Amino acid sequence: MSVIAPKFRLGYFIKALLDNIFWAVVLLTLAGIPAIMILLFYIDLPIIDGQILTPFLAFTWMTHPEMSVPLVKAFMQTDFFRIAAFPGFGFGALLAAGVIFVERKMLAKLQLRVGPFYCGKVEGILQLMSDGIKLLTKEIIIPAKADKPIFWVAPLLFVGTAAAFVSLIPVAPKTVVADIDVGLLAVFAIIGFFPIITVLSSWSANSKYPFIGGIRALHQMISFEIPLILSLLGVVILTGTLNLSEIVESQATYWWIAFLPVGAIVFFIAMLAELERIPFDLPEAESEIVAGWLTEFSGMMYGLVQLGSYLKLYAFAGLFVVLFLGGWQGPMVWPPFPEEIVTEGITMGPVTAQIPGLPLFSQEMLNGTLWFILKTAAVIFFILLPRGVFPRIRIDLLLHVGWYRLIGLSFVNIFIALGLLYAGVLGPEGIL
Amino acid sequence: MKKFDPKKCAYLFIFWEESQATLVGETAANFSQVMMMFGFAVIATAPALLISRMLSPRRRSNPVKFLPMECGQVPQGEGRTHFMMQYYAYVLMFVVFDVMAIFLYAWGSTILNLPRTATLPIIAFLAIMFAAMAFALYQAKRRNIW
Repeated sequence: MSVIAPKFRLGYFIKALLDNIFWAVVLLTLAGIPAIMILLFYIDLPIIDGQILTPFLAFTWMTHPEMSVPLVKAFMQTDFFRIAAFPGFGFGALLAAGVIFVERKMLAKLQLRVGPFYCGKVEGILQLMSDGIKLLTKEIIIPAKADKPIFWVAPLLFVGTAAAFVSLIPVAPKTVVADIDVGLLAVFAIIGFFPIITVLSSWSANSKYPFIGGIRALHQMISFEIPLILSLLGVVILTGTLNLSEIVESQATYWWIAFLPVGAIVFFIAMLAELERIPFDLPEAESEIVAGWLTEFSGMMYGLVQLGSYLKLYAFAGLFVVLFLGGWQGPMVWPPFPEEIVTEGITMGPVTAQIPGLPLFSQEMLNGTLWFILKTAAVIFFILLPRGVFPRIRIDLLLHVGWYRLIGLSFVNIFIALGLLYAGVLGPEGIL
Repeated sequence: MKKFDPKKCAYLFIFWEESQATLVGETAANFSQVMMMFGFAVIATAPALLISRMLSPRRRSNPVKFLPMECGQVPQGEGRTHFMMQYYAYVLMFVVFDVMAIFLYAWGSTILNLPRTATLPIIAFLAIMFAAMAFALYQAKRRNIW
């Protein structure tokens, strides 16, 4: 049990919270509401069924199920919902939070520690929230002579780039934020930004340990980017497309890991290195260089970098699932939507509500999402597992592994793919 | 207001002469969701920094607090110094071979539509790439010249 710092006063903390709420309310009333008024004054409100759609009428409709369900369905097709909630940022952040929780529990189990067990009585379920509040209320210290704008912006850029990576991962049929024809090349382009952000933040901190960590991160990400890119060429040769959704659709009968296990293993190892996880966590080696390139980050800035790195972890695991494990493909296990609800409505006690257009999600989408999450969780488990088991490797060994072994193996993988194609096993006349 | 003249603006669009269907802007617009996701993440997480700045204590009493972390020692010299970039050869190799690896994708994604003889020049390209990589790796191993 830690002792609460003697200078901490709960009253001051509550006062600070109330002050912030007060200023938020004042700003909203003085600036927000007049802005909405001015906007409504200049916008031509649409006329629906002979009525002018005033904000009041719109809010009334939203509580009416016959009106609200189609509205909700239409809203779920918009870019904003996709980016903010379902296949995008909210989904990724939720999975990232789950990964952090599971990682702490699992490492504690592996290393026979009790682990964070006390928050929230049930298996430490509130640990994440307490971590968040702790990070939020810590002082942000910026070292003297640091390059302040870059130092402030670096965590935000890291989170943003990781989120841009998440936007390319298809979760279920037609459920992807950005469906790009050259999705795989876009993935490589986004991965290429991470070393730049790392080096920028480490150089701007004006401190020696972040600098050493940044240089290490640069070397590591650079040497493992080429095996990463080459190991995926086999999949592209066999499918003939760079669109990630089409790559998933090509795996309806067989997953590519069955034909290209070498590429999958090379990609997995390169993925561990790009994620800076043990055994490749040289940039953050806490027993050698304090915390590597994260040394000078404190408070919420550190929290944002952690959020970004776990979003990146989810995106890489999702990419592995999409390319090698068949994405959303799997047997239909989701129960079908009962017909009575559409025809007879929902009966809750004395009230029966007839709600048209009810199945918000189709059965295929729910089933695909379920399989995608299950497979991603399995891949994330294998990414987390080495952390409890392996030591850290030396930097010259790391470069040797990257440049000699993995590149050779990824060329072997390319020739396996070419052989399968030209032997007629796969491809246009093959078994697929 | 001037009328939109497509022929005057034709130089803006690379593919104007070949096909009038695909404009450069349309191709680039596919990536708008990626940029929007980037912007959303930045806008959604920036308040965390602001709220933290408002909630957390700020005491500027001691200048030692803002010194760079050096495990309790008073730091000596600048943080940004001249340094010996070890393993620089690998960084140089990355600049060359990363581009070559991306070039292979142009071939790999169209291989189902190409005649089989088109694979032979690519094998030759791979051989040249391998030979160059072997030579570069041999040079990178010689620590005394770096």
